[in-house]
Amino acid sequence: MSRAYLGEFEELVLLIIASLGNEGYAVSVKDALSDQANRKVNISAIHSALYRLEKKGFLNSRMGGATSTRGGKNKRIFQVTAAGFSALQASKDLRSSIWKTIPQLSFAVIN
Amino acid sequence: MNKKHPKGPPALGTYLLKKIYGEEMHEEISGDFNEVFEQRKKRQGHLMASFRYVWDSVLSVRNLDLKSQNSIIKTSNTAMIKNYLKMALRVLQKHPTNSVINIFGLAIGMGVCLMIYQYIHFESSFDKFHPGVDNTYRVLLDYSQNGEPQGTGAHTSFGLGVVGKQEIPELKEFVRIHPQYGGAVLTNPENGQPYKEEDMLFVDPAFLQIFNFPLKAGNKDLVLNEKQSIVITERMAVKYFGTEDPMGQVLQLDGGWASGSFVVTGVLQPIPANSHLQFDFLMPIKLLTEDHRQYKESSGWGWNNFVTYVHLRESADLQQVADKYDQLILAYDQDLAKSTTSVSVIFQPVADIHLKSDYSGDPATNNGSLRDVQIFSIIAIIILVIAWVNYINLSTARAMYRAKEVGVRKSIGAFRGQLIYQFVVESALVNILAACLALGIAYMLLPVLNEIIGRQLEMTVVQELGFWISFLTITLSGSLLSGLYPAFILSAFKPSSMLGSTRKASKGGVNLRRGLIVFQFWISALLISGTYLVYAQISYMKNQELGINMEKIVVINGPEVNLNRETIKEKMNTFKNVTGSHHSISMVTGSGSVPGKGYNWRTGMWRFGISEDESKSGNVVFVDHDFTKTYDFEFLAGRSFSEMASEENGFIINEKALQVFGLGLPEEAIQQKLIVGGWDTVRVMGVIKDFHWNSLKDEHSPYIFAHQGSNSYISFKIDLQDIPGTLAHIEETYDAVFPNNPFNYFFLDDEFNNQYQADLQFGNLFTSFSILAIFISCLGLFGLVAFSTNSRIKEIGIRKALGAEVQSLMLLLSKEYMILLLIANVLAAPIIFVWGQSWLEDYAYKVNLGIGLYLIPGLILVVISLITVSYKTYAAAKSNPVIALKVE
Repeated sequence: MSRAYLGEFEELVLLIIASLGNEGYAVSVKDALSDQANRKVNISAIHSALYRLEKKGFLNSRMGGATSTRGGKNKRIFQVTAAGFSALQASKDLRSSIWKTIPQLSFAVIN
Repeated sequence: MNKKHPKGPPALGTYLLKKIYGEEMHEEISGDFNEVFEQRKKRQGHLMASFRYVWDSVLSVRNLDLKSQNSIIKTSNTAMIKNYLKMALRVLQKHPTNSVINIFGLAIGMGVCLMIYQYIHFESSFDKFHPGVDNTYRVLLDYSQNGEPQGTGAHTSFGLGVVGKQEIPELKEFVRIHPQYGGAVLTNPENGQPYKEEDMLFVDPAFLQIFNFPLKAGNKDLVLNEKQSIVITERMAVKYFGTEDPMGQVLQLDGGWASGSFVVTGVLQPIPANSHLQFDFLMPIKLLTEDHRQYKESSGWGWNNFVTYVHLRESADLQQVADKYDQLILAYDQDLAKSTTSVSVIFQPVADIHLKSDYSGDPATNNGSLRDVQIFSIIAIIILVIAWVNYINLSTARAMYRAKEVGVRKSIGAFRGQLIYQFVVESALVNILAACLALGIAYMLLPVLNEIIGRQLEMTVVQELGFWISFLTITLSGSLLSGLYPAFILSAFKPSSMLGSTRKASKGGVNLRRGLIVFQFWISALLISGTYLVYAQISYMKNQELGINMEKIVVINGPEVNLNRETIKEKMNTFKNVTGSHHSISMVTGSGSVPGKGYNWRTGMWRFGISEDESKSGNVVFVDHDFTKTYDFEFLAGRSFSEMASEENGFIINEKALQVFGLGLPEEAIQQKLIVGGWDTVRVMGVIKDFHWNSLKDEHSPYIFAHQGSNSYISFKIDLQDIPGTLAHIEETYDAVFPNNPFNYFFLDDEFNNQYQADLQFGNLFTSFSILAIFISCLGLFGLVAFSTNSRIKEIGIRKALGAEVQSLMLLLSKEYMILLLIANVLAAPIIFVWGQSWLEDYAYKVNLGIGLYLIPGLILVVISLITVSYKTYAAAKSNPVIALKVE
C-alpha cells in the first residue's frame, strides 16, 4: 500500500481519536474539536473524514453501545491503527524537522 | 413513534439521511445526528435544533460516495449469483427434456395445489360474511331414548326460540326458518305466467338483522313486518317483473304452506355462493304460526318443522345456556316430559354448518364435507411432493454428468458451501419458473374444476396478501427441499475421483432414488385404487335391486294453482283417465312423494296393545290405489288398496316396519293394528318387501303407505316408443284440466340417481387428481429411464454385438422398475384395505372389497409404466451398436 497523504483536517481528527482512547466517535470528535481547537465543524464533514481515514487504513472501528440520547442507536467507535500512529508520527517528525530550519531571529520576532 | 417522542428529530432529516447513507450505515450516522440534536435542543430549543438537523443532513450529500463504496461489496455477491443463474440457465438449456420434465411436472403439481387451495379457501369461507357470526348458532336437538342415542337433527319446534328469548338472558335474539317444503307456484297476475319455486323461506323479521343479506331496495327492519309481504332476490325480480320496478308489485302464491297475494316489500342483492342458506324468496313466519291450522292449534312444541338460530351474548357460556335450554324444554314440552325420550340442545356455530353438518332436516342443500376437503388437501400436498421427488430423482441421477464440472470448480478453489449454494440456486430457478407457470395452469384448470364440482369458483385468493406469502414460502422451501439433497450429493464428490479418466458412477443416492420411485408408485397405486373403489361403490349403488321399479317412469308435479276442494278429486280422475287412455301409458298414479323425494310425514307409532313408551318413528307416504302396482312392489302378504274405496283406513308397510314395530311374520301382521301418534289406530292391510326409497347410503327404515288422495306427484308408467309424443300428450291434458299450472316432469331413475351426484363429483375429482399424479410420476420415470439407458448405452452396444435380442435387452432395462413397482403395490395393499373400509363406513350398503381392488391398480400401473419405460428402452435396444460403441 502506498503511503497515503494525510490532510490537515484529517490529521487533526486522527489526533483527536488517538486522544479520546476508547471513546472516539463522530460526536465526541466534534465536541473535542470545538473545545480544544475552537473549530465548529459540521458533523457530516467529520463523518466524511472518519470513513475516509478508515478506508486509508489509519483507523479501524467497531460498533459500540447505544444511549438514550442517540435514540437507541448504536455508534461506531474508531481507534487509530498502527499505520495511523506511524502516519501521525511521520507528520510530526516532518514538521519538527522543518521547524528546526527556521532562523532564530524570525522566531524571536514572532514570539 | 412520533407520539412516544413528541420532540424527536424532524422526519425530513431522517429521510434524507436514510437516502444518502443507505440502510446499512443509517444506524450509526443517525445515532450521531440524534446525539447532536439532543445537545442542541437543550441549548437552543427544539426549532433551531430541528433546523440545523435538516441542514446537516443536506450537507451530508458530500458523503454520498460512502453508500456506493458500501454497495460495491454487495455487487461482488450479486456477480456470483449472476454467475450461478447463468450456469443454471445453461444447464437447463443443455438438457431440454430434463428441464421440461422438471419444470412442467412441478408446474402441474403447484397449479393443482393452487387450485385446491382456492377450493379449500372457498369451502372454509362459508357464512363468515355475517358480522355477528361468532356468536350466532344453530340449535340442534340431540335425542336419546332410554339412554340410547336416537340421532341429532336441525329440526326444532317453533316455541323453542320464543321461550329461549323470554327465559334465557344470554340469548339476545332468535330467528326461525321454515322452508317451503315441496315448493309452491308463483304467478305475476299482470302476465299470468306461473313458475314452480322451491327456494322459499318463512322467517322471523330478525332474519335480516342477524344474517347479513343486504337489500337493494327496502328497509331491512321493516320488510318482513307485514303478513302479506314477500322479499325477493334481484334475479327473481327480473324473472317476474322484467325491467319494471318490483317494489310494491303483487305476486300470487298457490300451493305450499300459505296461499294468497303478496306485496313485494324488498329486493335482495344476490345471495353469496358461500352462504349455507340459499333462497330466492323470504316471507314472514307469522303466516304459518298465526294462520296455519296445524301450528295455530298446537302449543308450539308438537311440530318440529322449524330450524332455529340464536344470537348469544359474547360472554355466554355455551354449556350453561344449553343446560338452561334443556330444562326449559322439559318444562314446556309436556309430551316430551312424559315420554322416555330425552332431548339435549347443542349449539352449532353457524360458520361450522357448511363443513360439519350431517344432520337430518338440514335446510342447507349445498353442504360440503370436511372429509372431502381433508382428502383433497392431502392429495394436493401429495401431488406437489411427487413433483419435488421427480426433481430430486432427476438431479441426483444426473449428478454423474456434472461430476466433471464439480471437480473443476473444486480444484480452482470453490468451497463446498458455494457449490451447495449454486445447486440450490438452480433448483430455485426451476421452482420459480414452475411457480409462474403454475399460476397460469391454475387459471386454466379452474373452469374444469368448476365443471366437476358444479360451483363458480374464481381465483380470488390472488387478491390476498396471505396467499402470496404462503405461495412464496412454499416455492422457496420447495426449492430448498428439492435442491439441498442433490446439492449435498454433488458437492461431496472428491475432485481426484471425478477428474480421473475412470469415473466411478456414484452409488450414493441410488437407493434413495429407488426408495423415491417406490414412494411415487405407492401413492399412484393408492390413488388408482381410491378411484376404483369410489366408482365401484357408485355403480354398485346404481345397479342394486331397489325393490322398486323406476324404469320407464315419468313423474310430473301435481297441480297447485286454482284448486278447489270439491272439484279436485273429479278433475284428478279425469286427468288420470284421459292420460291413462293413451296407448303408451300403462299406469297413472298420484302420491305425496316419490322415491328419492323423502317422506310426507314422520311420526311416532306403536303396535296396538303395548305402551306408548315403546313408540318408534316411521315414515308415512300418501299414495293412491295404483301406486304399488305402478312401482311393482312385491307383496309378501295381504293386498293393495282397492280401486273401489277412494280412501281406505289401512296401511301397507314394509318388512322393516314389521321388524321395528314387532309385528312378527308378514302373514301375522295382517289385520294387526298400529297406533299412529296424533292420528288414529290403523290396521295393516299389506306387507311388501323392503325397498330403497332413498339412496343406498341409508339403511332401510320403516315405511308406511297410507291410502289418501295426495297428488303432489303424478307418476306415469310409459313405454319408450314415442317419448316426446307421450310427454306432449300428458302436457296437453294437464294444461287443459289444470290451467295456469306450470308443467314440470322428470324421469324417476335419473332423478333418483341424482342422489349420487355428490359421490360422482367426488369420484370425478379423485380421478382427475389421480391422473395428474400418475402423469407427473410417469414424467419423472421417463426422465430416469432416459438417463439410465443413456448411461448404459455402451453396455447395450456390447450385448447387442454379442447377439442379445431386443426383447431381452428391454427386459434387462425395465426389470428394475418392475420390481420397484411390485414392492410399491405390496406396500399399498394394507393401506388400501384400511382406507377403503373406513370410506365405506358412510354407506349402509357397500360393495365388497374384492381382490380386484388390489390387482386392478397394480395392472393399470404396470401397463402405464411399461409404456413409459419401453419408449426409451425400445429405442435404446433397437439402436445400432456401432454408434453406441463409437462414442467416447
